[in-house]
Amino acid sequence: MINSKQNLITQKSHGLYCQPANTWIDPYKPVEKAIITHAHSDHFTNGCREYICSIETGFLLRKRFGNNLNLKTIDYDKEFIINGINFSLHPSGHILGSSQIKIKAGSEIWLITSDLKRQKDKTCKSYEKLKTDFLICESTFGLPIFNWESTNKVIDSITKWVTQSEDYTSILFCYSLGKAQRLLSELNSQNFKNIYVHKSIEKMNGIYKSLGIELAETKVYDMNLVINNPKNSLLLLPPSLNNKNFLKKFKMVQTGFASGWMSIRALKKRSGFDKGFIISDHADWNGLIKTIKESKAERVFLNHGDGESLANFLRDKEALNIKQLKEVK
Amino acid sequence: MSLNKFSKLFEELDSNNSINKKINSLTKYFKSSSNLNNILTIYLLIGKRNKRFISGKSLREYYADIYKMPIWLIETCYSKVGDSAEVISLLLQDNLLKKDIKEDISLDQLLNKILPNLSKLEEPKKKSQIKLLWEKTTNDNQLIFNKILTGSFRIGVSKGLVTKAISNMVGIDESIILHRLMGDFDPIEETYIFLINEKLEQKELTYKPYPFQLANTFDEKIKETTSINQYQFESKWDGIRSQIIKRSNNISIWTRGEELVNKTFPELIKLISDFKNDFVLDGEILIWDEIKNCPKEFSLLQKRLGRKSPSAKIQKDLPVVFIAYDILEMNGNDIRSKVLSERRNILEEKFYNPISEDQNNNSRKIKITKLLKIKNWEELEEAKNSARNIKTEGLVIKNKNSKYLPGRKKGNWWKYKVDPMQLDGVLIYAKPGSGKRADLYTDYSFAIWEENKLVKFANAYSGLNNEEIKELDKWIRKNTLEKYGPVRSVKPELVFEISFDNIQISKRHKSGIALRFPRITRWRKDKNIKDADSLENAKRMIRN
Ligand SMILES: [Zn+2]
Repeated sequence: MINSKQNLITQKSHGLYCQPANTWIDPYKPVEKAIITHAHSDHFTNGCREYICSIETGFLLRKRFGNNLNLKTIDYDKEFIINGINFSLHPSGHILGSSQIKIKAGSEIWLITSDLKRQKDKTCKSYEKLKTDFLICESTFGLPIFNWESTNKVIDSITKWVTQSEDYTSILFCYSLGKAQRLLSELNSQNFKNIYVHKSIEKMNGIYKSLGIELAETKVYDMNLVINNPKNSLLLLPPSLNNKNFLKKFKMVQTGFASGWMSIRALKKRSGFDKGFIISDHADWNGLIKTIKESKAERVFLNHGDGESLANFLRDKEALNIKQLKEVK
Repeated sequence: MSLNKFSKLFEELDSNNSINKKINSLTKYFKSSSNLNNILTIYLLIGKRNKRFISGKSLREYYADIYKMPIWLIETCYSKVGDSAEVISLLLQDNLLKKDIKEDISLDQLLNKILPNLSKLEEPKKKSQIKLLWEKTTNDNQLIFNKILTGSFRIGVSKGLVTKAISNMVGIDESIILHRLMGDFDPIEETYIFLINEKLEQKELTYKPYPFQLANTFDEKIKETTSINQYQFESKWDGIRSQIIKRSNNISIWTRGEELVNKTFPELIKLISDFKNDFVLDGEILIWDEIKNCPKEFSLLQKRLGRKSPSAKIQKDLPVVFIAYDILEMNGNDIRSKVLSERRNILEEKFYNPISEDQNNNSRKIKITKLLKIKNWEELEEAKNSARNIKTEGLVIKNKNSKYLPGRKKGNWWKYKVDPMQLDGVLIYAKPGSGKRADLYTDYSFAIWEENKLVKFANAYSGLNNEEIKELDKWIRKNTLEKYGPVRSVKPELVFEISFDNIQISKRHKSGIALRFPRITRWRKDKNIKDADSLENAKRMIRN
């Protein structure tokens, strides 16, 4: 736990909290004022009185969770003040609109990275390097077995996977927001004839396109329609559809899942995917270490995932003042 | 012809659930590679006594040492991934370690030269050689390379799949290919030529056991749909399934695990060599209680198995018998296609007479199993319930009109096991599983009461469904008391019904008892830990 009394940011039952500004970051339960780092549903909760987020996140949140949210959107890198505390949002490279939050009170700076990625991604602004005194960094993939390959190599193997099994319907499962669009922007150059996407993905694609982000051409996959000629076509669907009942519809089908977790073969096997594509919107082991070091923070807190190992490793090796936050959810 | 190619095959097999696709990949591969490469590939894929050049543990320690990574961190990764070769290959993907001296090598070079030489090296040369090999290996080949090093191939390419692919390719029945794959397996070119030979009669077969026929679990429907007269009933012996082969002077005993155990059972070999006829018998090796005329505990058999070339004293203290229940070959003729009733006749004709010089029935070392007289299904039930009294596991029910076929052919043989014994135990420790289950707590230890103290009495890792496993995993994480490495001790709160096939006195176990095949049969959410069984209860179950 971050020591409650004297710190600017504390961890409470509803999530991370900035007491002097009475503002929460990605709270788990409805609160007065919430800053939302990005539009993934595990970072958003309905029912807050006021939301603050980046402009892009604002578009996505409205599309996903309804037009009547009380949203205040703010440009990246622009300071805003709540109760005398200075806040600013900065790209975290995770997905479109994703933000790190910088909080300044007097001479003390805090930085909350939220979900972050260090790889290039054409669908969002790159991670912005910032210096801070206190860092709260994510650590979803905080083990040295997580080493991402170049995006090109992964896209090549997806293309091969589809074209070399032309008699099969290729279903690539991926998260509807972020991963799907990143794949579609990369697949744009691969000359696929038919890419079908689930309507939840299509819904998000609309926002991306309206912001001028180029995506491969897609058709909406009608769940009731059986595609007769799947030759060389690719279906992007959310992972929730990976079940026998749904897959029964297809005679010849191969399934894949695009996620950093696919590094571990046992996870792929357990979910029954034919193939795992290791591509993540989070930082890998070296990406996390780089991020922590570059921040020059004097104290580091790790959030999400199994950060204990990363914390112990850096404490021993770099003599960093670092520890993991306990999940409070 | 190379590690590259083998690695691609592995990737294809690993990333397709479709059996047809796997067979296609294998067939394509076999057709386009050399005989030697193919036989080495088969050797690796079916995992027949693969050499382990380095243990998984040493491999992890080497990595820690070479790349200055704390061993605890590698062990944490290992507990997530569940396989040493996979952990090492993932760690080696680290971009910061990349060197540009990648090269391809042939499987022959690797398996017959580089790795045997490596295992001969002394420290610190061995370490620097491993480092060099790791650096030469491309990222894509890293997993395969480290799996070969640790001799750990389990990728769902069973013998069956390889058999199917070869059978497809050569146009010869699967059962014949399976037969050719039995017994000794020398990964040399000649073995491959033998394997794909279109000629059916080959002299190499005379050294091989037949593929074993296996029994399915009894299906209660049989009682309604078939007549009891079409079956014969035998005791289900709890021993080591084996084939005794006598082909003139060539005598061998092969276990179902395809282990040649001539040296372990010299007294049987001697007896067999006294027979005039040639034959292949299928049956079970047991340690025999000559006074009570029934088998002794399985643990004694295990003890006996552990002794290669046993002394006269051991042969006397732990006397073995072979109980035959089928005959597959008589004087050089394969009679597996005769129906069971005919084979039984031959067996009785040739082996019912006293077959050793010793006339005392009880000490005869080669016996044939008695057929049990069961005239209706009620009697079957009675026979099953009394099976434990004569130290058997239950019954085997065999269709008299069935041929002897490899594997578990439906409708031929059924096993009808005695109801398991059960105790209710309290969950006290949990450990992550391995392989598929590496990131879930799936290996459990259970305790029962000794007065007012809980003592561990069983480890079990099977029997729960996926939902229960996930639910329990969550509970374990929330209710951990202490962590010892990967093991967590948990709050004693949950009760499970543990079933097992047998229970014995054991000095090695703290509880003083040892269970055979313990498994979880029910999560007793209705029970409180006070309702769990006691050690006293458990000991009462032990029969002498
Ligand atoms: Zn996210």
